[in-house]
Amino acid sequence: MGMRKDPAVTTAVFVLWALLALFVVYPLAALFARMLVDHGTFTTAGLAAVLTDRHQIRAFWNSLLLALLVGIAGTMIGFLFAFTAARGRLPRVLLTVLDAAVLLPLVSPPFTTAIAMIFSFGPRGLITYDLLGLKSVTVYGLTSTLFSEVLTYFPIAYLTLRPLLTAIDSNVEGMALSLGASRWRVFRTVTLPLTIPGLANAFLLLFAASLADFATPLILAGNDFQVLPTQAYLQITGLFDLRGGAALSFVLLLPALAVFLLQRYWVSRRYYVTITGKGAGQAPFDSTSPGARAVLLVACALVALVIVYFYALLLYASVVVALGANHAFTLQHYRVIFTDGLKAIRDTLIIAGLAMPLGGLYGILLGYLVTKKAFPGRRTMELVSMINYALPGTIVGIAYLIAFNDPPLELTGTALIIIACYIFRYGPTGIRATVALLQQIDKSLEEASQGLGAGSGTTFRRVTLPLIMPAFFAGLGVVFIRSMTAISATIFLVSIGWTLITVKILENITELSLGPAAAFSVLVVVIVFVVIALIGRVLRLFRAPGAVPMTSLLGG
Amino acid sequence: MTVETIGVRVDGVSKRYAHRVKGEIYAARDVRLDVRPGEFLTLLGPSGCGKTTTLRMIAGYEKPDAGRIFFGGQDVTDLPANKRNIGFVFQNYALFPHLSVFENVAYGLRVRGQTDDVIQKSVGDVLALVGLAGYEQQFSGQLSGGEQQRVALARAIVIRPRVLLFDEPLSNLDAKLRVQLRQEIRDVQRRLGITTVYVTHDQEEAMAVSDRIAVMHQGSVVQEGTAEDLYYRPASQFVAQFVGRVNLVAGRVVETVGGRVNIAALGTTISARSAPRGLAPGDPVQLIIRPEAIEVARAGEEPLTAMVVSRSFLGEKLEYLLRCAGETLQVVRYNAGPEAVIPDGATISLRFAEDAVTVLTERGGDGRPT
Repeated sequence: MGMRKDPAVTTAVFVLWALLALFVVYPLAALFARMLVDHGTFTTAGLAAVLTDRHQIRAFWNSLLLALLVGIAGTMIGFLFAFTAARGRLPRVLLTVLDAAVLLPLVSPPFTTAIAMIFSFGPRGLITYDLLGLKSVTVYGLTSTLFSEVLTYFPIAYLTLRPLLTAIDSNVEGMALSLGASRWRVFRTVTLPLTIPGLANAFLLLFAASLADFATPLILAGNDFQVLPTQAYLQITGLFDLRGGAALSFVLLLPALAVFLLQRYWVSRRYYVTITGKGAGQAPFDSTSPGARAVLLVACALVALVIVYFYALLLYASVVVALGANHAFTLQHYRVIFTDGLKAIRDTLIIAGLAMPLGGLYGILLGYLVTKKAFPGRRTMELVSMINYALPGTIVGIAYLIAFNDPPLELTGTALIIIACYIFRYGPTGIRATVALLQQIDKSLEEASQGLGAGSGTTFRRVTLPLIMPAFFAGLGVVFIRSMTAISATIFLVSIGWTLITVKILENITELSLGPAAAFSVLVVVIVFVVIALIGRVLRLFRAPGAVPMTSLLGG
Repeated sequence: MTVETIGVRVDGVSKRYAHRVKGEIYAARDVRLDVRPGEFLTLLGPSGCGKTTTLRMIAGYEKPDAGRIFFGGQDVTDLPANKRNIGFVFQNYALFPHLSVFENVAYGLRVRGQTDDVIQKSVGDVLALVGLAGYEQQFSGQLSGGEQQRVALARAIVIRPRVLLFDEPLSNLDAKLRVQLRQEIRDVQRRLGITTVYVTHDQEEAMAVSDRIAVMHQGSVVQEGTAEDLYYRPASQFVAQFVGRVNLVAGRVVETVGGRVNIAALGTTISARSAPRGLAPGDPVQLIIRPEAIEVARAGEEPLTAMVVSRSFLGEKLEYLLRCAGETLQVVRYNAGPEAVIPDGATISLRFAEDAVTVLTERGGDGRPT
């Protein structure tokens, strides 16, 4: 149909552009300006200082090395889990256990595995000190950072690869088998090649996640293995050097941007298998022998066991006086977080509660407009909306700090700056879910409604909107979860007026009050699980086919 | 509520598209159709012939680049689909997946602001009409293909549309169900008397349901008529080959005598009545002979001699491939018992009636039959 000028669409587009300009483009521009302009004159001195500093160059290479290793190891473990889940012919119960073990790291605050690492392998670690009697090992460095990040991020690879493996037409593999290939050969020559784009995608996602990770290295990397995000943080909070922080962000931005562009414009177009969300409607290919199945299961069980052990340890640490020293039961830590920490809890819930509906609305609105309405610059709008999502949180946080520090846009110290940060950083998940859902909805559905006499307003309200509601709730859920668990961007934005649980956890860790830190973490995990369960229940009310499952949205 | 029965007139409608390889192409080119009130007209043609585009322009889903569309006396060319009062049945059914069968069918009535009582009664009636009473609370995911198709039909007719439009509604169903459902569609259309335009690529389906058929090729209507018209008097080689099966035999005009043309073909002279005007001796022509019009006789009984190359036994009938004067001919015979089957390699003779032969000039579609 022709494009008639719709005043509602025009207004919405205008408002969205204004918001994107203010909360995405302007902060980034301010970051560049701070880096390159000094008292009105152009200078590359700040950048040069970073690029010639041996420590910073080391940090840059360290960041890349860590990201590379996390990408490789995480993709392998993710593939192991995905393959076992998709092809292992597991009973339903085991699948649920597998899914739960994978979900746990995704919904946890960023320090959880790091804290558990210290509890296990630290100076007074349960394993190193108590069990093995080792006294001089140090937990800090590349190995434990890598270990902790892989455990935290491999679920992203799992969630990327599992639908891909499920979507492979089992007849293709059956065909190879009927041509005389062994199971192993089918795997090598058919299954794996079909999965390669997915593996590349998973690797890039993990690479980006590790590159951006701020919390884990802050706790575990130690002095000998500095990485860029922590360096930028220390530059700003330790040395109050905004220009240096901005320059470090810029150096971090380049690989992050390269990965984003590769992922979006190269890998995603090389998929052989289209994931429609509809079940293939056939039994999966019997690709594993009983022996292979046993090996896969044991491997997955080991990883799952480590995760469960870490979380059990966290729970235990939150109810004993001092893990490693005094194991008497106490609720003292919970008393502390509900008295001293009450403000952080209240602030976090208020901020998450406000960011959630706004972020959900933003996602569904922008996703709908760029998919269904023709207006100039809609591709650009979609791309710009993804920027804050694709950039490492450290960059976004520093950019916001620089941009909103002075009048007339002085927002530092308010809740608004944190809320805006969350909306524009995590709302894009809702955008992507909306776009994906809308692309699955055949246009004949809207035509059918129109043919039955409904105008475009009625069609939107009665057909399109109910069908994209799952995307709304998914977007809502992700914004809430991230608002509860994120720290990399917002650590720069908290103030005396408004603080966050995650920041409080970090403070506790640096003060070595690990008990309250564990209690806070347990609290966050519980809240997030309750909210996910609620949203899952709401989602089940919608019978839309091909609804994007909640878990698949947590990956980004 | 009663709706007057109206005709649909498509007046010189064209639609162009930008094609990736071929540049700008016509999906529909100067299409003219006149659907009479209450008539069942089918647009028949191969994929890409423009039939669906034409149907979607009648529905209002596409806007023609040129030409007008009339419902009765009203010019609806600029009217959007939701103002045309049509019933459209999609190939993929397009049932609303978030609504029950009842709410799917009720949708158009709710849009029209009907009261709950009216909706309850109308939906119940129409579901009974399509044989789906009791399915009200089901969702489309729980229905079979045939059931989904019936819901789509119910949803289209419950609003008492002025025009009922079908876009290949049966192509996702298996053969037996197709035959059954096309009969049901025809019965419902007859009972309600709604003017109907139906799109299909299946010539048998078209012949079974339609009052009239318009054959489309490369964006244009190449012939229009009843099934019999198209079958017995195809205007072009394309129509002849698309509607039913044919033997195409090359020949040359010998003479025209009165209403009949004598043609040299198959090594003999064949007479035909149905031929274009203005044929001169020596003109190359194509003869169209339907496989079932050829009769088989014992060798020597008729002047045309042929040899059986192969045969297919299809139960009620037998299909033979014959070699006759260097040409291959298909012949269909009804199965008259095991003794009547002619063995491979047998020599036989052939005959066919004068009016079973249609003559086309080499250029096919140019000449209209006399």
